Amino acid sequence: MIQIPDSSTLPGGPMAGSETRRQAILEGMVRVVGRKGYKATSVADVIEEANVSRTTFYKHFEDKQECFLAAYDLVVERVLGEVIGSCDPGEPWLERVRAGLATVVEMFALDPELARTAIVEVAAAGADARRRHWDAITRVTEFLADGEELAEGRELPANIGLMAAGAVSGLIFDELLTGRAERLPELLPDLLFALLVPYIGPGAATEEMRRAAAG
Amino acid sequence: MERSREGGRWRPPRGRHRLPPEVVARSQRERLLDAAVRVVAEKGYGAMTIGDLTREAGVSRTTFYELFEDREQCFLSAYDNAVEALVRRVTAAYEAAGEWPERAAAGLATLLEALAEEPDLARLSLVDIGAAGPAAQRRYRAAVQRLTPLFEEGRDYAVGGRALPANTSRMAIGGVTGLISDELVAGRAERLPDLLSDVFFATLVPYIGPDAAAREVERLTR
Repeated sequence: MIQIPDSSTLPGGPMAGSETRRQAILEGMVRVVGRKGYKATSVADVIEEANVSRTTFYKHFEDKQECFLAAYDLVVERVLGEVIGSCDPGEPWLERVRAGLATVVEMFALDPELARTAIVEVAAAGADARRRHWDAITRVTEFLADGEELAEGRELPANIGLMAAGAVSGLIFDELLTGRAERLPELLPDLLFALLVPYIGPGAATEEMRRAAAG
Repeated sequence: MERSREGGRWRPPRGRHRLPPEVVARSQRERLLDAAVRVVAEKGYGAMTIGDLTREAGVSRTTFYELFEDREQCFLSAYDNAVEALVRRVTAAYEAAGEWPERAAAGLATLLEALAEEPDLARLSLVDIGAAGPAAQRRYRAAVQRLTPLFEEGRDYAVGGRALPANTSRMAIGGVTGLISDELVAGRAERLPDLLSDVFFATLVPYIGPDAAAREVERLTR
């Protein structure tokens, strides 16, 4: 859940209250879209979830789409923050990738509404949202760029990270579409295979997959 | 469908004529489906109205409701048509081409070409579909799965292919659609055919690994 600071502890003044309400609206957007889908979500739904007035909503956002974009940005920062936080830079690349993927899977399994908003509904919210989604995926794939160390001199395609990320997000998308975010941890070995195979090939990726399934 | 509004699609003469009603209805239906593709490409699914469709297609609102329940149904029908045509064309190229992996390369080349020829349809099939709600999202997934045979043969081709994860073909498809969507979202549909080496690599790599995949790409797409 995105933390909403208790307004009594904030350093004070109407600006702090305004920021709290903005956060509440963004959180509300994530919750409602994650439950009903972007198409079926209305501003009325969001303000009810966030417990703010319509006036307050329109003070912060021009419309549903603008609010969604801001909420999505917040989701991306939150997920990336957790992933980066979970990875020990001292560990080998394979271990860092495994830890990062496990973090994403756990976040999504524990918060299916977050997962649906981040992976499925973002595709529904217009061209700007889709571009941000691909930007976010690109940032994640940069995180994978170190995998090229393992290439040992062979030349990998420039957008190999995008292939790997596309493979992983496709599997997660399918699982979420059938409404089974809670089962994502079971999919972790397959996700790991999908992510690693373009870098290390099916033999080694199968080995990592088995270790993940056993561990 | 790069037709001008006047040219291209046949329409029956205005006013009284002796054409059977089902011929007229079919033409009107097709014009509405074409209109859906153009309007969604222009303003997105969310902003598309029935008024947009009837204006673009040159039919009355009454006629629209005779043919479709609502705009979602019209859009989904356009989507089904687009996918059917695409899958048929790709499958034909694939089946004509001998063995895997040549077959996969032929299918992929045709896929990229077909999408580049009709950028509005390409975006509809791969990108805009997400906006039309859960029913549409499930259709997208079903459409993607129809391409599975292109990839699944890799399991027989690869040494140890039988031991690969059950959803390996879904991984390959995800890699390919990821690359294609990237170009479409950036408005670069005309560059899709240039992706052939990369989508072919993405197809092969889960089955035969990066070294062998790079060799096959070199051999078949030079």
